[in-house]
Amino acid sequence: MSPPPQLKDSSVTDAASARLADVVNVVGLCKTYRTGFGRRHKKQVLSNLCFQVQRGQSFGIIGPNGAGKTTLVKLLLTVVRPTSGKVRIFGEDPERSHVRARIGYLPERLALPPASTPSEFLTSICRLKRFASVQGEVETQLARVGMTADADKRMRVFSKGMKQRVGLAAALVGAPDLLVLDEPTDGLDPIGRAEFRNIVLEEKQRGATIILNSHLLSEAERICDAVVILVRGAILRQGLIRDLCTSKTRWRARFAPLHPDIAISEAGFAETEELGVYSYDTDDPEILNKSLDRARSKGAVLVELGPELRSLEEVLTEAIGP
Amino acid sequence: MIVSLIVATDLLREAARRRWFLVLGVAITLCLVVVLGALRLDAVDGTIAASRLAASSNHVDGRTVDVVLRPIFRVCAYLIFYGGILFGIFSCAEFAPTLLSPGRIEHLLSLPVKRWQLIVGTFIGVWTIASCASLYAAGGLTVILGIKTGVWTLRPIVAGLLSTVAWGAIYAMMLVAATLARSAAVSAGVGGIVFVGGIVASNRANLLPLFAPGLGRSIFSLVSLMFPKLTALGSLCARVASSEPISSAGLLSLLAGFAVFTAAGIAAAVWCLEQQDF
Repeated sequence: MSPPPQLKDSSVTDAASARLADVVNVVGLCKTYRTGFGRRHKKQVLSNLCFQVQRGQSFGIIGPNGAGKTTLVKLLLTVVRPTSGKVRIFGEDPERSHVRARIGYLPERLALPPASTPSEFLTSICRLKRFASVQGEVETQLARVGMTADADKRMRVFSKGMKQRVGLAAALVGAPDLLVLDEPTDGLDPIGRAEFRNIVLEEKQRGATIILNSHLLSEAERICDAVVILVRGAILRQGLIRDLCTSKTRWRARFAPLHPDIAISEAGFAETEELGVYSYDTDDPEILNKSLDRARSKGAVLVELGPELRSLEEVLTEAIGP
Repeated sequence: MIVSLIVATDLLREAARRRWFLVLGVAITLCLVVVLGALRLDAVDGTIAASRLAASSNHVDGRTVDVVLRPIFRVCAYLIFYGGILFGIFSCAEFAPTLLSPGRIEHLLSLPVKRWQLIVGTFIGVWTIASCASLYAAGGLTVILGIKTGVWTLRPIVAGLLSTVAWGAIYAMMLVAATLARSAAVSAGVGGIVFVGGIVASNRANLLPLFAPGLGRSIFSLVSLMFPKLTALGSLCARVASSEPISSAGLLSLLAGFAVFTAAGIAAAVWCLEQQDF
């Protein structure tokens, strides 16, 4: 992995966004598109986004269709320019070539040059990123995505899944410090998805920071440490997945077998579908403890207690609201 | 600049695999083969002893070789100039829109490539294609006629290279159209407009009296002033190829005009690309 970049721009250091531990720093990011005749109609796509992605973190961007997820990804890479606000990657302006050389990107709908072969395509990327050992790197990455056998075939005849694999190999070229994946498993079969997940987890282990935009919440749940929930261009929730998914008002208690069911129910615990597992709704630990004491005084034996964990889907549904 | 050259190399590789350019290569080769087989010129001591094109005699026997070759070089220079431009307008219109297509441009812009480098790289790539085709056609003809007559001249090659200057000016405007509309048809259409406009601009002095004095004449005068003088450069290429005298000052001024037009086109294309979100 290349060493951390030196800050060259004094404007970078002034802001709170210049924390070197953060690979991505987004401050007050807004994007408004102008459409129609004379570009008079304004359409705000993103408003006042602020978040950080730390080094080595896997960060998910989730939200419903039209939330602005892909626009946000493109803003991070300066494919789209912000109306206001600031994006810093490795503490610097992402327009800079040496910053971009450390980023691997898989776009949502990658269009590959049809007359080229995967080998030629990756070689071109290596040359643009100024790598010394081009051939070895190309072969390694094509092997990782299972495209060695098709390395010298023209991409015109490739299926969507094969193109996606080549795109992933292109993103992985040169062991990037930041991997930005926009709907990466789109077009992949279940086995391909599992292979993709393994590759991303390998990258994570290597120390790469990963930004994942996916509408597959199960995928985000398996890969990401933290997420931002984007709805209508605004951040509704953000944080570590374990924090977001942990309920603050519902508790999950498991009692030992042969416990007196009625006693536990009378103490205020609600039965769940799982045998021996009960839930309890309160945001006050003292009330929970009193109920537990009541159940235990009648013979119930507690073996496990913790806050209830929700799925990311439930968190998203709750965030979006009715 | 290295990045622009990498972009240009990728474009050339893509072009080499397109049918259009294979057809161009085959067509030029066929033309050269036909000239090689059908034109018979027997030169003795710098004069034509016998000549024959296909089955017909050409009544040039007894004239000096360079005089006989002049109209041949002249016609070929015109063919390379106008034929090359027209072929280029249709065959190269797709390059820039393909490069700017959704899914491709996002990926390119995420790499260490500046937007201006993409435009300059595309221009260099397309200009190189035109130069190679011109060199192949003019060079092939020079070699064939050199072998047949013993007259070796670089002038047709110089004329062929001069014709790429005109193509550069037209393609610069096609690039502007491509960055604005991302459409091969629009790009080719703009190329066609500049081509016709360039011919009209060259004959501006002759056409101006046809307009009644007033607004119409002023508009024509102003609009035709903006186009590069295409016919003037075409005629100049023909004169260079056929070893006719040319004014150096006139040539330089014409080339400077084309250079300014091309640079303005490239600058406009870069500006348009810089303003866009993808």
